[in-house]
Amino acid sequence: MPINKMPSGDGTELVVAGRLDGAAANELEIEVLAVMRSGAKNIYVNLAEASFLCSAALRVLLQYWRQMKNSGRALYVTKPSAEADAVLRMSGFRDQMVEGAQPR
Amino acid sequence: MKATIERSIRNQLPEVRGVSDWLKSFADHHHLPLALRHDLDLALTEWLTNVISYGFGQAGEHLIRIRLACDAQTASIEVEDEGRPFNPLDHPPVDTSAPLEERPVGGLGIHLIRRLMDSVDYRRDGDRNVLVMVKRLR
Repeated sequence: MPINKMPSGDGTELVVAGRLDGAAANELEIEVLAVMRSGAKNIYVNLAEASFLCSAALRVLLQYWRQMKNSGRALYVTKPSAEADAVLRMSGFRDQMVEGAQPR
Repeated sequence: MKATIERSIRNQLPEVRGVSDWLKSFADHHHLPLALRHDLDLALTEWLTNVISYGFGQAGEHLIRIRLACDAQTASIEVEDEGRPFNPLDHPPVDTSAPLEERPVGGLGIHLIRRLMDSVDYRRDGDRNVLVMVKRLR
């Protein structure tokens, strides 16, 4: 599962493609932690090309969403694919974590 | 007519990705819709991850048997393991309306299985857990 890291305005964007299963969730955690420790104000996890999102990845997103918030910063999920969006919605994460999400 | 295939895996997390590939081949062969195969894949991945991570403690190698089946009305997954008894249907439901600050970190995998599948049945058969997950073809 490729993760590309790039600057994005006031933060860093992590672009995740493919299958975000348990093993990939560990890779995502390593990348998020590195960006958080670099002092980024915001972290944007772009899931536009993520075809699969499991609960292990949700746990990583939740854990670091909280840590960023507690330190006065923010983690957002952006542009989720249809598959990722459905899982975020089923989990109750969508409206609070996805950038620009409208409740539905 | 019902089509069925079966395989066994060891209780090792890297085996789960191979099961997804196996499920994909089954779904391709039987022309299952993309959305349906995604839901089957996610539910099976969540359950296998749970069984492998929490079912066996530290004690050695175990086999987990998986059976896939489909007919004109349904697709189903049966998973049988010899781990400690665990009925996911006893797990309390997740309150998805709670603020993320207050949400427990665990329990999401079982929540997803229950949301994704049309029915989930559990039984303890001797020293084995048997979980059957069914999705209707629409």
